[in-house]
Amino acid sequence: MKRLLTLAASLLTLVLTGCATNVVKTDLSKFEAAKPRSILVVPATNKSLDVDAPTYLLTTLTVPLAEKGFYVFPVHTAKTVLEQEGLYEGEQIHNQPPEQLAKLFGADAVLYVKINQWDAKYVVLSTTVTVDFDYRLVGKDGTELWKANKRMVYSPQQQNTGHPLANLIAAAVTAAIERAKPNYMPLAQMANNDVFVWGPTAIPNGPYAPKAQ
Amino acid sequence: MKRIMILAALLALTGCATKSGLYEWGGYDALLYQSYKEPAGAQKNMQTLAAHIDALEKGGKRVAPGLHADLGTMLLQAGDKNGALGNFRRERELWPESAVLMDAMIKNLETQNKPEARS
Repeated sequence: MKRLLTLAASLLTLVLTGCATNVVKTDLSKFEAAKPRSILVVPATNKSLDVDAPTYLLTTLTVPLAEKGFYVFPVHTAKTVLEQEGLYEGEQIHNQPPEQLAKLFGADAVLYVKINQWDAKYVVLSTTVTVDFDYRLVGKDGTELWKANKRMVYSPQQQNTGHPLANLIAAAVTAAIERAKPNYMPLAQMANNDVFVWGPTAIPNGPYAPKAQ
Repeated sequence: MKRIMILAALLALTGCATKSGLYEWGGYDALLYQSYKEPAGAQKNMQTLAAHIDALEKGGKRVAPGLHADLGTMLLQAGDKNGALGNFRRERELWPESAVLMDAMIKNLETQNKPEARS
């Protein structure tokens, strides 16, 4: 049911945000020049109080990037390999030279995410769930190819946020709130899809995307 | 809830041609999330992923990036080196971009006999 709702929200958003055109485009010249085929997603750094947030977020990043046509390195395998290298925390990993990480895995680009916020605030009648991420894609030569920030807030008391996407998330997140332990996954998935696929920061297609025309 | 689904489906159908996904994921992301959240269920999740990949292979469908490799790592962590090797080799075969990493994983398994590290 949760998956269905996520799908429903995705479909709706796809339609509402228009099928093809993004009006405002971010600068993609470096991305386009580098033409990465493969992306290594490493565990995120974490400014939130939820110690599990980086691991949970990691599981949501593969699908949107692979569906954009990139080879995405197996996140569980990459995490395990990094741990064997003594790199357990996002901070440690993000402090490594990107060139070195890319070389170790044979990746064309490395995706870094910083979790600024990942929390739920409970008041008497409402729960506000917030995620806020900084995304940064760095090429194998160390060049920054792309970056974006995404903040998603869900509060059942104010469903009309003026943002169609945020409104649509409502259904998915409401279904996901289990007792006092919210499931952040739908919100994280929406944030990822918005920055990579739907929003003005959308990245170019990778080599496995079907050719246009 | 049902109404939302119906509305979404209608809008999608009457809107632009919907882009169906490139791959069948079989709940890979949710399985991984569940295994991190409740490690007790990891074994069962691994079997679910294995069955999904098996069905895709038998149906001649392309298995999404990373699925074979992550299944391989799960098998390795469960002590099944041969299963891991087979999956690493298949990942490499399907996805040339994985060659550096998969070669390292395969070589590591082929040359080492010590018990594998666990995550």
